[in-house]
Amino acid sequence: MPRGPTRDKRRTYKSKDQKGFPLSSKDKGIPKHTLEGKSDLSGSSEEEGSEGVVQADFVFFDPKPDDFHGVKILLQTYLDDTQWDLSGFVDLILAQTTVGTVVKMEGDDDDTPFSIVTALNLGRYKDHKCIKELKEFLLKVCQEKDVIRDLRLLMGEQAHDVGLLVSQRVVNLPPQLLPPLHDALFDEVSWATEDEPTAELRNSFRFKCYLLVSKIYKKNNRNLIRRSGSDGGDGIVYIKPEDENFHKLSLWSFSFPMHAQQVETQEASNIVVCFFWF
Amino acid sequence: MATRLMFENSCEVGVFSKLTNAFCLVAIGGSESFYSTFEAELADVIPVVKTSIGGNRIIGRLCVGNKNGLLLPHTTTDQELQHLRNSLPDQVVVQRIEERLSALGNCIACNDHVALAHTDLDRETEEIIADVLGVEVFRQTIAGNILVGSYCSFSNRGGLVHPHTSIEDLDELSTLLQVPLVAGTVNRGSEVIGAGLTVNDWTAFCGSDTTATELSVIESVFKLREAQPNAIVDEMRKSLIDSYV
Repeated sequence: MPRGPTRDKRRTYKSKDQKGFPLSSKDKGIPKHTLEGKSDLSGSSEEEGSEGVVQADFVFFDPKPDDFHGVKILLQTYLDDTQWDLSGFVDLILAQTTVGTVVKMEGDDDDTPFSIVTALNLGRYKDHKCIKELKEFLLKVCQEKDVIRDLRLLMGEQAHDVGLLVSQRVVNLPPQLLPPLHDALFDEVSWATEDEPTAELRNSFRFKCYLLVSKIYKKNNRNLIRRSGSDGGDGIVYIKPEDENFHKLSLWSFSFPMHAQQVETQEASNIVVCFFWF
Repeated sequence: MATRLMFENSCEVGVFSKLTNAFCLVAIGGSESFYSTFEAELADVIPVVKTSIGGNRIIGRLCVGNKNGLLLPHTTTDQELQHLRNSLPDQVVVQRIEERLSALGNCIACNDHVALAHTDLDRETEEIIADVLGVEVFRQTIAGNILVGSYCSFSNRGGLVHPHTSIEDLDELSTLLQVPLVAGTVNRGSEVIGAGLTVNDWTAFCGSDTTATELSVIESVFKLREAQPNAIVDEMRKSLIDSYV
């Protein structure tokens, strides 16, 4: 099938502050572990300077089949501890090369993904086992009656207008990468609406809304009396900072408790599903 | 026959279980289907025991054993040790050892006759392995990796090693171990054989990502297709009967 010219999506981002100087932890007062922290998947190590300053160059790539293992590890707890067709889900993400970005480190021999960001059209993939299981799971865990009606609608009749926003990364990925990463995703979506070879594919990227499944920390009910000013007003701690913005912009959301990771102290971990119109 | 399964969405079956010719250890937690898959294959032949080691579920990488014995790291609690001693057949000697390299499953790979050990293992540990497991111990590396337990898996009938093992190394190891060896992968290209696969003389369990090609390689090198558990277990039947009559 003939393809139109693809835009140059491969971008390199050096971890720099706004002035364009290489990022060093002592200059910006960022805690040391931001750059030198290692994820559990990265086998290679960065050279640590004597002052603990680490240079890291990150590159954005299109998803490719070789990234299977790394991306699978990143998405391990995507649907809590349910057993579902995660491998099929990862295959779907990697097969969609036009929209989606994998972040890797420059010169890393291991080639491990540090982050995956993509948007999948629920209608286009509705026959895949993993998407069916995902829909079943979300409908099952949604406890709020007013939301479940909307959710069912969006999974059912309106599925072809819905994009599932998948965004997972290692905890210590430098936050400077986030704006370009998300810009890249939304750019790719709009390019795909023009560049895809068939009308059907072009339309599949005209998302009316996005669905996001993400992990947050929420205060346990029994500790509501205790007030701590350190987290968000409603007692939610967002692991990924952009989630707070998405949550504010969302049309509706719901949360449900996770079983895979129980945190004993004041907070229990939850997943919030946000929904928004663009 | 080889079976594909998952532990809580992870295909690393060899991390959460330990299979030998005389017993099978399975991690607690995870869904019941993990445990019941093992039970379905093994229940009437060898005991399947649920356990943790030092409160951890990664039991396959922490312990090493064969039909003669089971070695546990120093992190094992007294209750776990007692539970294992009670649940396993009498002829299996269960021993907790003091070894700095406590992930014994990563450092040691063995069958009923030979063991490959990490090059930095204590001399004392090597003697205990030879004594308790009744094996001859060789310090080796596999494709340049010192964690022999992670990068290979072998039974009395065959073995699978890291895909980048050279032909010379393969021949050398095969001579040492006296079993046919094949360099291959498991779980769709994963090189960590020990984590993705657990095997004994008549059956194997691997992650559900394992492709059909990988599975057929496993079944052929470990000679699982014609294997019958009864033939192998009969010699051990006298001591096994004591534990589950």
